Amino acid sequence: MRPSFFHHLHPPTIPAAQSRWRYTLGAGGTAIFLALILTITGALEMFYYIPTPDQAAISIQTITYFVPFGALLRNLHFWAAQLFIIVSAVHLVRVVFTGAYIPPRRFNYLLGLALFVISILLNFTGYILRWDQGIQWALVVGTNLIKTIPFIGDSLYQALIGGTQPGSATLIRFYAWHIFGLMLPAAFLVGWHAFRVRREGGIALPPPTLRTDSERITRNELVRREILAMLFTGSALLVLSIFTPAPIAPPIIEMSPLSGEVRAPWFFLWVQQMLKWGDPFFWGVLIPVIILIILILIPYIFPRPAESELGRWFPKSSGLAQVTLAIIAVAIIVLTLLALIPIK
Amino acid sequence: MPELSRRDFLKLTTNTLLTASGLLGFGALFRFLGYQTEPLPQTEFDLGPASNYPIDSRTLLSKIPALLLHTDEGFSALSLVCTHLGCTVEPKESGFTCPCHGSKYDAEGSVLNGPAQKKLNALRVEVTTDGNLILHTD
Ligand code: FES
Repeated sequence: MRPSFFHHLHPPTIPAAQSRWRYTLGAGGTAIFLALILTITGALEMFYYIPTPDQAAISIQTITYFVPFGALLRNLHFWAAQLFIIVSAVHLVRVVFTGAYIPPRRFNYLLGLALFVISILLNFTGYILRWDQGIQWALVVGTNLIKTIPFIGDSLYQALIGGTQPGSATLIRFYAWHIFGLMLPAAFLVGWHAFRVRREGGIALPPPTLRTDSERITRNELVRREILAMLFTGSALLVLSIFTPAPIAPPIIEMSPLSGEVRAPWFFLWVQQMLKWGDPFFWGVLIPVIILIILILIPYIFPRPAESELGRWFPKSSGLAQVTLAIIAVAIIVLTLLALIPIK
Repeated sequence: MPELSRRDFLKLTTNTLLTASGLLGFGALFRFLGYQTEPLPQTEFDLGPASNYPIDSRTLLSKIPALLLHTDEGFSALSLVCTHLGCTVEPKESGFTCPCHGSKYDAEGSVLNGPAQKKLNALRVEVTTDGNLILHTD
């Protein structure tokens, strides 16, 4: 068989042991596949979406209730975005738990983290674009958090919100960030990130002299597995999108007093929970930034995994890094669950 | 001081210039994005004739959002913007609750429990000579 362009994106052969699902979890590749789906479905949504406060929610209703296959398209975009966050988080955990971030891969680890942060911002801006009653309080809280940053808070608020309170300038700004200002660096980083994986020798593994298992698979086999993963992810996404509609709410008439309880988008529930404890700047800005800094520092400050231990789960030599990440992950999950308990 | 080689000097100059233009560009971008196209939000609300609000009435003005009170001592108003992060608080039988992070205020707007630290803002209500009510939110 003559290799196609897609085959050419892969190295001719790769080590069998490290290309197993139970080692990579297929998370990085799945994320790229989801990013593709997000780009296509997002581009199609742009044909109907109108980024003005009066029209935004209505145009989304048009897509959802009138346009043929519009609901499916929107659900696909929504679910692919949520899965993207989950899959990227799994990928991050996998990389740390297998010690795959050691030099020369340190820089690529940082690229990956940058992508993760951008994808959360993309998800949040996308959520705001609904501009319906479901999002107004997350917008107010999220943007008011920016104001609490000492010194630069107020000017940062103006630059992002485009006014002294959320309005049409805010919507068009979030739109510009969502479809261009964040998408462009994200697309660039995805390419760079994947390129560096390849450049740095594919999936992390011990140096040849220390390897016990020298079996390799061809790129045909690799491509076969990737297609299998895409089919699986694609069908899961389709089933999810057919049976579970993306959230939608009536348009905002005015900032009317609310009833019941207000929840942040799911990936910020943990921050919402911490905000119940007090000072907005400390819990809402400082702690998340500190967590990000710890993640950035993982390859730099903790004992490194030994080269001989690469290519498998939980290398003992980098246990501290694994424990740190595990604590962060468990804390975020517990906080998220706490946030779901209703306030009396 | 060790002598700077020609190459190092050029490298240093290039890097300095690049950093400087980067910073300048960033500053310009920040100012570019900071321009305000929208008019400042309204801070004065005409509530109509004062006689529409009988004594002992509590009127919810959801647009502002505020609560207008008319007592023996005259008119007063409380802002319903939570002092924590700006959600609109819900009036309850004896006070206010914020749906976002659960702050509770008593009927006068003082904090019963956090995370909010400051009491709800008291707003200025003015009765004009021809008997109209004006609410000021600034
Ligand atoms: S905004 Fe009211 S408690 Fe946080």
